[in-house]
Amino acid sequence: MAEPRQTARQTPPPAPREEAELDHERRGFGGALKALIVETRSVMPAAGATGLSLVLVVAAMCFLASLALGAALTVGRTSADWTRELSAALTVEVKPSDAMAQDAEVEAALKVLTDTPGVLSARALTRADTEALLEPWLGKGNVTEDLPLPRLIDIRIDGHAPPDFDALARRLVEAAPGAILDTHRQWQAELVRAARSAQWLAYAVLAVVAATTIAIVTFATRAGLQANREVVEVLHLIGARDRFIAAEVQRHFLHLGLRGGLIGLGLSVATFVGLGWYAQTAGSFLMPVSGLRLEYYPALAGVPLVAALVAVVTARTTVIRTLHRLL
Amino acid sequence: MFSREPTPRPGFFHDTLRPMIRFENVGMRYGMGPEILRDVSFHLAPGSLHFLTGPSGAGKTSLLKLMFLASRPSRGLITMFGRDIATLPRAELPDLRRRVGVVFQEFRLLDHLTTYENVALPLKIQGRPEESYRADVKELLAWVGLGERMMAKPPTLSGGEKQRAAIARAVVAQPDLLLADEPTGNVDPEMGKRLLRLFIELNRLGTSVLIATHDHALVEAAGAPELMLKNGRLTIRG
Repeated sequence: MAEPRQTARQTPPPAPREEAELDHERRGFGGALKALIVETRSVMPAAGATGLSLVLVVAAMCFLASLALGAALTVGRTSADWTRELSAALTVEVKPSDAMAQDAEVEAALKVLTDTPGVLSARALTRADTEALLEPWLGKGNVTEDLPLPRLIDIRIDGHAPPDFDALARRLVEAAPGAILDTHRQWQAELVRAARSAQWLAYAVLAVVAATTIAIVTFATRAGLQANREVVEVLHLIGARDRFIAAEVQRHFLHLGLRGGLIGLGLSVATFVGLGWYAQTAGSFLMPVSGLRLEYYPALAGVPLVAALVAVVTARTTVIRTLHRLL
Repeated sequence: MFSREPTPRPGFFHDTLRPMIRFENVGMRYGMGPEILRDVSFHLAPGSLHFLTGPSGAGKTSLLKLMFLASRPSRGLITMFGRDIATLPRAELPDLRRRVGVVFQEFRLLDHLTTYENVALPLKIQGRPEESYRADVKELLAWVGLGERMMAKPPTLSGGEKQRAAIARAVVAQPDLLLADEPTGNVDPEMGKRLLRLFIELNRLGTSVLIATHDHALVEAAGAPELMLKNGRLTIRG
């Protein structure tokens, strides 16, 4: 009975290098954290060719999904801001009329406006301001003194308690016959429609990218698992319980998914920061100067978590199905 | 490593009184194909040593697959350690598999793990902490002559080294039954004899051993009973 033991004792003890390698589990907190995020002491291959390709696929899809999400949030927010600003802005146009001097009409209109509840501010544009507005069409210095120009009054109203527009228009005409209240309703409606379309388009792109990401991560996980089928089978045949195998496989794909997702997230954050920088220096139509608003970054962080979750759930269901087929 | 205390495993004494494995009129086919095994009946007693011989394609590997619970029979009755495997809940199969050590024909070592990790795998899957088995695994590796190759990964091992690693993995958890599929197929006759001595030693320590082989010299050297498969039918000699 004791013979093999004695035989073994006659062999020289393992070299110190081997001892050191066998003792790799003896790590501090930093080592444990690293093991959780980066390295796995799992029985699954830490990073094979399939592991690497899964990481790359997840990274690429998370990058696209983060871009789509960031774009959808930004477009949604920008068009909402736009719509709000538009509906809060009115203009009173005071045409030159024979009844009153234009300045007097402007004064009278301003008085009506400042007396109206719901009007936050009313500012009359000077003739110089009006000329500046015409400059793109007529060129600088081409507006002669005797050219009759309408005077404009820029009004900001309280969006939550707007004044009665019809009553306001009537009172304006009574006070200043040349005054016309322009509520921008027609082109405002068109702009709002355009903004809404942009918003829906962004959400549709986001939905398609999200669905594609889930599908591709699912397929890549299955392919990765197929490559690890031998590992799963051997573990099964030497008596590992389904629970153990599923846990190992899940942990493996959690690592791969998170790693890929974080790479994709990093790339998309870099892209948004770069876009923000570009918008700040060169100016951009839709993109706010900050690139992506700070409050949207946590939403982006959800993308790799969802990708990792998809990988883990797929891996678990696939491996359980495989094991049940094995007997 | 191989010292065998009177085991506290429930049912042990009961098990010693009845065959570890009993096949009664077992037939097996893959899908709708022809029967690979036909009316196979035999039993293996605790502590026995048997050879399984037969020409290629006779069904040796299929018979072993039934014994290490990788396949189900198409018909007939198989009892392992007193349990009818047809009525056994799936959740209880891992416990039976852990009592059977298998040396696969193609070794089936995991290429990404070191030799040490491969051999320690059956203990690891039982949830044992590494400290509790590290010394035993190293001792076993030294015993099969792989003491210096512990950190090598299977792709860098020679055929003989892989074979010994596979054998070490099969016996590390001290199984009640050891099944070996062509265990001397990849080694020179000298190594073949050494491996046979290893199996005989394990058998002497109480493990039932079944060796599937083509090697008649090996069978004659051991002088153990022979299960002969031919055209899916089994006859017993010796």
